[in-house]
Amino acid sequence: MALLNIFKRDSSKHTVLATGHVISESSRCVQCGVCSYNCPIGIDVRAHVWRDEAVKHSECLTCGECVARCPRGVLRFAQTDLFVRSKG
Amino acid sequence: MRYVIIGAGVAGLSAVEAIRSVDTAGEIVMISDDPFGYYSRPGLAYYLTGELPDKALFPRTKEHYQNLNFNFLKARVTRILRSDHAVLVDGKSKLSYDKLLIAVGARAMPLEVSGASLDGVVKLDHLTDARHIMSLARRGKTAVVVGGGITALELTEGLLARGMKVHYLLRGDRYWSNVLDKHESHVVEDRLKEEGVILHHKAELKEITGKRGRVSQVTLQDGSIIKCEMVAYAVGISPCLELIHESHLAKDRGILVNEQLQTTDPDIYAAGDVAQVYDPLTGKSVLDSLWNPAREQGRVAGWNMAGRRAAYLKSAPFNVTRLAGLTTTIIGVVGRGKDDDLIGIARGDSETWRELPEAIIAQSGFDVNHMRLMVGEKTLVGAIVMGDQTLSWPLQKMIAGRADISSIRDRIMQPDAPLADLIAQFWMTWRTEVAL
Ligand SMILES: Cc1cc2nc3c(=O)[nH]c(=O)nc-3n(C[C@H](O)[C@H](O)[C@H](O)COP(=O)(O)OP(=O)(O)OC[C@H]3O[C@@H](n4cnc5c(N)ncnc54)[C@H](O)[C@@H]3O)c2cc1C
Ligand code: SF4
Ligand code: SF4
Repeated sequence: MALLNIFKRDSSKHTVLATGHVISESSRCVQCGVCSYNCPIGIDVRAHVWRDEAVKHSECLTCGECVARCPRGVLRFAQTDLFVRSKG
Repeated sequence: MRYVIIGAGVAGLSAVEAIRSVDTAGEIVMISDDPFGYYSRPGLAYYLTGELPDKALFPRTKEHYQNLNFNFLKARVTRILRSDHAVLVDGKSKLSYDKLLIAVGARAMPLEVSGASLDGVVKLDHLTDARHIMSLARRGKTAVVVGGGITALELTEGLLARGMKVHYLLRGDRYWSNVLDKHESHVVEDRLKEEGVILHHKAELKEITGKRGRVSQVTLQDGSIIKCEMVAYAVGISPCLELIHESHLAKDRGILVNEQLQTTDPDIYAAGDVAQVYDPLTGKSVLDSLWNPAREQGRVAGWNMAGRRAAYLKSAPFNVTRLAGLTTTIIGVVGRGKDDDLIGIARGDSETWRELPEAIIAQSGFDVNHMRLMVGEKTLVGAIVMGDQTLSWPLQKMIAGRADISSIRDRIMQPDAPLADLIAQFWMTWRTEVAL
């Protein structure tokens, strides 16, 4: 699928470490828990998604594990994503 | 004021939260017969594949529940006694209500075939079922899957992940024929074959036979036999309506509700998979079995029960799922007719998806990155996005928001149109106009 470059998503660590944080499209979430289960420092990402809040957690490593593992494309990094309104 | 909520699914929980956001003092009683209470039912698929342990399926802690301040009763409601303003619990005790919410969901339809009660015939409805499957699945043994929709594939993938050899029986000539088009069905089927699934088309189960009460083989209508230790089925679901028998609440395939999610009794509401809700997109009342609509309906019902008037406006139903490992989003109306493998709808499914009006199809991509748009007179009425999901969120918003696409319609309809670019460009302008 040929896409405009601006639509390319980039969830790699390097581009988000500075100020990026995880945001969500809550209506796609089914509360399965894959994100929370895979967060290396135990942030309850799923609970943030339920409340439609960004993961602005001081300890978030912005490692991207939750973003990459969510089976339903709910999570994105705010800084690099043009689709999503800033929330939280 | 006493609110009684029947069902501890997402609709029930969301209603409790909504009631508490309006009424901090009223008494809330939630009753459910699922021994595990509230957990992510779509997550059961990831438990089967081994991506999650079962304890990770529970989104809430004890503290969450304590903060919501409600009583939980593990019991079954057997009747609604409208004239007494009460429900009958476990066939014996009465519990009175001021406002009642029925959020009892839907359940798997039974497999109507001889031998269906043998040990080793399984379904995927509750955590209890998933645990049962896990306890029976054995590496190197054989399973036969029948049925359709998402759950049939979730069973297939789960059993493969447990090391079982899987035969998938399809009655027709392709998978999920009233939602997917031929190409999409074939993409899914090819991937299943690559994963080692043995597909049987035009295959009809005749009987299951067993030894010492356990499944040992299935016989098909054409006489062929498959030796197996398990038969997993997903032939459709139906709303749990037995509770409202004799209650004279209006029902059709589900419990009929108005925009406030109120039934024909003003003190009784219904939400989630059990409710049949008016859909402005098709002008009909339809059933969904989708997590997010169930959550939203629970919330709107809860607000109304507690006195904050709110309307539930059904928007284009969508689901994001994995079909044979391929992330797929289905939005709005995309297909039509019947599917031989399903009776009614399945889990993660919507009746609306088959209500195809006059629409023209535009397609792009092939194999794993594929997009199909259903183009109406001025708007997009549906879409399927397989593989790269970049455009699925914009498409969801454009379809739900009925974006007027007249400016790009002609270009979309050209053969070999660069659909992704056209949609992306349109989206950039449209989203600023509607302030998304
Ligand atoms: C395997 C599976 C996969 C799914 N995949 C998806 C998906 O990909 N996407 C998606 O959007 N949705 C999916 N769903 C559907 C989604 O989970 C449902 O739409 C949602 O759970 C509906 O919520 P609900 O609250 O209406 O009902 P339910 O979750 O069914 O909850 C009903 C509750 O009522 C209780 N109950 C029933 N009868 C009684 C009674 N008489 N007395 C007391 N309690 C009673 C039950 O025990 C249960 O607690 C899936 C579901 C399953 C099972
Ligand atoms: S992994 Fe995705 S779908 Fe599952 S709870 Fe997290 S955000 Fe929701
Ligand atoms: S980015 Fe990493 S640390 Fe931050 S919430 Fe996600 S998984 Fe946890």
